Amino acid sequence: MKKIIELVKEKRIFFDGGTGTVLQSMGLAAGKSPELWNLTDPEKIISLHNMYFDAGANIVKTNTFGVNKDKFTNFKELIREGIRCAKVAAQGREDAYVAYDMGPTGQLLEPLGPLKFEDAVELFAENVRAAADCGADLILIETMNDSYETKAAVIAAKENSDLPVFVTNVYDESGKLMTGADPAAMIAMLEGLRVDALGMNCSLGPDMMLKIIGEFRNHSSLPVIVNPNAGLPVVRDGQTVYTVGADEFSDYMVKLAQGGATILGGCCGTTPEFIAATVNKTNTLPYSVPSFKNETVVSSYTHAVFIDEDPILIGERINPTGKPKLKEALRSGDMNYILNEGIRQTDAGCHILDVNVGLPEIDETEMMKRCISALQAVTDLPLQIDSTKTETLEGAMRMYNGKPLVNSVNGTEESMKNVLPLVQKYGGGLIALTIDEGGIPETAEGRAKVAEKIISRASEYGIDKKEIVVDPLALTVSSNPESAVVTLESIRLIRKLGVKTSLGISNISFGLPQRDLITSTFYANALQTGLNCAIMNPFSEAMMNVYFAFRALNRLDTGCTDYITYASSTGEKTTVKTQDTKEETLHTAIVKGLKDSAALLTEKLIGNTQPLEIIDGQIIPALNEIGLAFEQKKAYLPQLLMSADAASAAFEVVKRSLPASQSDSSRAIVLATVQGDIHDIGKNIVKVLMESYGFTVYDLGRDVPPERIRDCALEHNCKLVGLSALMTTTVPAMAETIKLLNETDPDIKTVVGGAVLNQEYADMIGADHYGKDAMDSVRYAQEFYNC
Amino acid sequence: MKSNDIMMITASGADIEVNRRELAARLGVVRNYSDDLIESCMKRLEKIIQYKCAYIRCNVDMSEENICDFRFMRVESRNLYRNLSGCSEAFVMAMTCGIAVDRELAKLKITSLAEYFVTDGIASAAIDSFADYAVKKMRGELKTPPRFSPGYGDFSLSFQVPLLERLNAHGLLGINLDSAYLMTPMKSITAVMGIKK
Repeated sequence: MKKIIELVKEKRIFFDGGTGTVLQSMGLAAGKSPELWNLTDPEKIISLHNMYFDAGANIVKTNTFGVNKDKFTNFKELIREGIRCAKVAAQGREDAYVAYDMGPTGQLLEPLGPLKFEDAVELFAENVRAAADCGADLILIETMNDSYETKAAVIAAKENSDLPVFVTNVYDESGKLMTGADPAAMIAMLEGLRVDALGMNCSLGPDMMLKIIGEFRNHSSLPVIVNPNAGLPVVRDGQTVYTVGADEFSDYMVKLAQGGATILGGCCGTTPEFIAATVNKTNTLPYSVPSFKNETVVSSYTHAVFIDEDPILIGERINPTGKPKLKEALRSGDMNYILNEGIRQTDAGCHILDVNVGLPEIDETEMMKRCISALQAVTDLPLQIDSTKTETLEGAMRMYNGKPLVNSVNGTEESMKNVLPLVQKYGGGLIALTIDEGGIPETAEGRAKVAEKIISRASEYGIDKKEIVVDPLALTVSSNPESAVVTLESIRLIRKLGVKTSLGISNISFGLPQRDLITSTFYANALQTGLNCAIMNPFSEAMMNVYFAFRALNRLDTGCTDYITYASSTGEKTTVKTQDTKEETLHTAIVKGLKDSAALLTEKLIGNTQPLEIIDGQIIPALNEIGLAFEQKKAYLPQLLMSADAASAAFEVVKRSLPASQSDSSRAIVLATVQGDIHDIGKNIVKVLMESYGFTVYDLGRDVPPERIRDCALEHNCKLVGLSALMTTTVPAMAETIKLLNETDPDIKTVVGGAVLNQEYADMIGADHYGKDAMDSVRYAQEFYNC
Repeated sequence: MKSNDIMMITASGADIEVNRRELAARLGVVRNYSDDLIESCMKRLEKIIQYKCAYIRCNVDMSEENICDFRFMRVESRNLYRNLSGCSEAFVMAMTCGIAVDRELAKLKITSLAEYFVTDGIASAAIDSFADYAVKKMRGELKTPPRFSPGYGDFSLSFQVPLLERLNAHGLLGINLDSAYLMTPMKSITAVMGIKK
């Protein structure tokens, strides 16, 4: 028998339809696991498969959808028997294949859910290992509604078997997965991971799928699978029925086939009748597999970014080179600072964010993974993984949710040998630097040659040149007057090789005054020469001016709408600045909760006022005023919090002007939501208020074990610990933490708070203070430090 | 594979009016209080929120004292038993505001605690308002006691497991449960509502 991926190239093939509907007609009770029948009623499962093969299906899905180690202790047996039943039915038939069917775990992955990525990979891997030797012809990963879980399943399938891997996802009425990915994002990621066919299943019905089949036709180079439901379930005369019948269903399937679907089948509510009708109506339609799409694309968990004529901005701010504050944040593990940089660059209009956390004194791989996971919770932009270390690239590419841009490979043997296999395995756009053992060639021709070498080596690994984005390197013009000209000429030559280009723009102006002038002019030149991506500073107005003006001038901005929006928003900022500074004092800005004004006004004050005077004379009195109003119920929590936000913004500015030795970490508090509790809103409110009052806060987050809290207090010699809990079930964890702290150091004082606590509870568990609200906790801390 | 008797109700952010009384209670402000912060958070949330509800109508056997037997789950609970008294059928439901709300909250936690706190309060009030809307649709002309959720009284949170499983809540709503029976997306509700004979 032909391999399934060979057969797909020759003719249209068909999946079977739904399992539930048929098995329920055979007596399966609603809500019962059909997979158990693999052991108790195998003859019924075999008969189900036979019905589908008889109807014209080429591939039957094994009855193993919900099976995994977490749900069934006998998962191996269920998988083995499930495959056996399908194989019995396939025996002796022509073009009849068995797909080992693997559904989702039912759990959401980190950072939003509890399941760790590698645990998800392992859960799927156990399944795949159980299935690998049982004779299935392919693995079907189906009904996945999360891109990250899909990636975990594909990696598990690829690492534990040699079978072809087909993947179908569930798109909702908005044309996206439950966790946000659109078809283009899924295609980018799945093609990068080298699956053999991809598409959609389940969902609302064939009519809905018709709306997005075009996206698959336009972007997928792989066969496209379409396995819809029979419409929506409704109750008629007390019976559940699906809205679309076999005849209507198969009419839709004709349209789907004409719209670009390659492999057809059904999902919930469909029966052998639906498949037979589909086979009859589509078998004679002209057939072709999707064409190769020459698109350079990376993706996040929501969308794809296409690297083409419209320039791409890659934010450079998460890179410690020349940024002392980021270095400090990396050393202390201050994720908030890094995330803030990510969010600000996203809001500034970047398309991709570069992430480089390379510092000699930290574990770069661990920090990179931590940053990527945290960044992917707060920004939906694709990330560019930037490291010189192979293990850092691998760790990050594996756990990245989507198809990353990888920065970088170069023309040295060692680099190509290390990096290319990673792109081959995990997928990714690849920045290729034109440097090799001989250094950076001085001429444009030399740099193009290095690019050619990398392209050719990559193709040996099956990496098409569309994945490669060449960076011909911009060297400082102040030390080499030829530099800019050679780089621009290199772009011209490299474009002729049929690959895209990228440049780290800012380097060109190093060592010169008014760097923005040189950098932005060079950027304009490079864009005119055909540069696709720029790694740049999105907070540079000069750079953004060039970007928007270039697009408007080059037919990339229809009606100049983006330019107009941009131009009017920069105008607005200037007006706000002058207005704010005229009318407000720092004190009133904080009381009113005006964050931007507070920061601006502090900057103005810094020139002629001592930093500590700003804190004690303006910030603290303003906070006290609003704090008092809150305590007297004249102001509400949202207002208090806005003031705290404004005070924090002012503090940031003050801190920047304080020499490191003067910044006061003696007034500190360790904060944590106790083990078992994931509610942290109360703890976060306390944190921001404490910070706005100038306390140093060691925030351990939520669900924190007692030992970690103790260790943190000891490490920083901090005698004040704040604990929060929202659920009654976690109060014992709070008691345990207090006990441990008291045993460790009787001088440590604890303040506790949270919805379930009251004075009585606090006394009972031995807390030193019950913080009835955030202000009360601040007052206690002030008392504790006599300030 | 999946049960095929599950019904869906969906709505966009704009479809559902957030109950202002509920919101005021959650934000700790007086009724009818509003300001720019609350209104701007409300507007932003409205754009990203996607309400989805999955429910079934099923029999519930109440013949044994303090036992409510839905077949797919057998609940021993005095409070639920009392709530369902006089019912032989019930709606079993799960609903959510969607994962985009969690993402927005994660982002706001970093950028502005004031917006985070307010948005969290609005989202909580919003899912409650949607629950009222969905329940009204299900109920139609039927007579029902108030909806009752796992976690109320002695109706154990652990019943979230069979309930969400039965409703294919992972597949249809993207609701996931952790080991402490807490749901993601955070702004999600599960409940049962009896149907009076």
